[in-house]
Amino acid sequence: MDNINQENNEVLDVKSIDVKSTGVESLETQAKLIANLLDAHANRLSMRTLKQLENGRELAVKTHAQHISGTSVNRDGTISHAIGWAEHHRMATTGMVLAAIIAGFVLMQSLNQTENSDAFLLGSDLPPEAFVDRGFEPSLNITQAKI
Amino acid sequence: MASSQELSNFLRDVERRAFKQTVYAVRDDHAALDIVQDAMLKLAEKYADKPAAEYPMLFQRILQNTMRDYWRRQKVRNLWTTLLSSFGAGKDGEEDFDPLDTIDVEDENENPMAQLERSQTMQLIEKAIEKLPTRQREAFVLRYWEDMDVAETALTMGCSQGSVKTHCSRAVHTLAALLQKQGLGSKAIAHLGTES
Repeated sequence: MDNINQENNEVLDVKSIDVKSTGVESLETQAKLIANLLDAHANRLSMRTLKQLENGRELAVKTHAQHISGTSVNRDGTISHAIGWAEHHRMATTGMVLAAIIAGFVLMQSLNQTENSDAFLLGSDLPPEAFVDRGFEPSLNITQAKI
Repeated sequence: MASSQELSNFLRDVERRAFKQTVYAVRDDHAALDIVQDAMLKLAEKYADKPAAEYPMLFQRILQNTMRDYWRRQKVRNLWTTLLSSFGAGKDGEEDFDPLDTIDVEDENENPMAQLERSQTMQLIEKAIEKLPTRQREAFVLRYWEDMDVAETALTMGCSQGSVKTHCSRAVHTLAALLQKQGLGSKAIAHLGTES
């Protein structure tokens, strides 16, 4: 009796799976049909839309061709080389910032030097004119050697 | 590396579907055109060295990401528009009309009544698809329209295969229910399918 019940249950299980799978299959088929309808409908776009899509495609293909050949097409339609400054604007900007920092450093150094020499002239025992006079050169050299 | 001819062929094959998919997502033809064109350019610029076989998945991923960027920008723009709307005066429905926008590339041999019936049915289907939640619509489009398998769809959507199956199942059930409500049962769709 138990065996018969078990068998019946198994048969019911198999039947419910069948119903489920056919339901899923029919839904899948319906989804595919809807997709086919959408596909057919997508081919009926307005002339303007088709033209604009074509323009976009042509620009993309041109860009691709330029990439392959080593040059690149900009968004405004102009063509530039792959190693051009316009393409590598980040590098150009970094370079300019670095150059400005180096120039500033050099300028600060030269200003410091001027300030030091001014302080030396003012702090020296000799008058500033003595450093211009050629006659004082030997005694200045001796003083520097001593220092 | 794919040749320019291969890229051109691929884009020609996919551009119309991509446009319609984007329209369903953003509900604006002009924005959809911009998004598709942007996606095409990004594919050509960033993935010029990839083989043509990888293009379908890459393009779909770029397209989905470009749509998300659009929504983000739209969110910010809407915020500002709402804030500033009281200062500006609207045009009150005055829009530029161009006859080219309304001329469809139809089959001239088809019966006008059949054309009308078909376009009405398609409108119902399109509206039902627009009503689907974003992730479900994405899954449906990629799995059934783009004919990707579950693994590819999962990779493109950036989620697990289980999620794809769930999204697809829910999408198909919701679509079936929505269309049934409009009187478009599976038989009617099958009938339309055989006609097209």
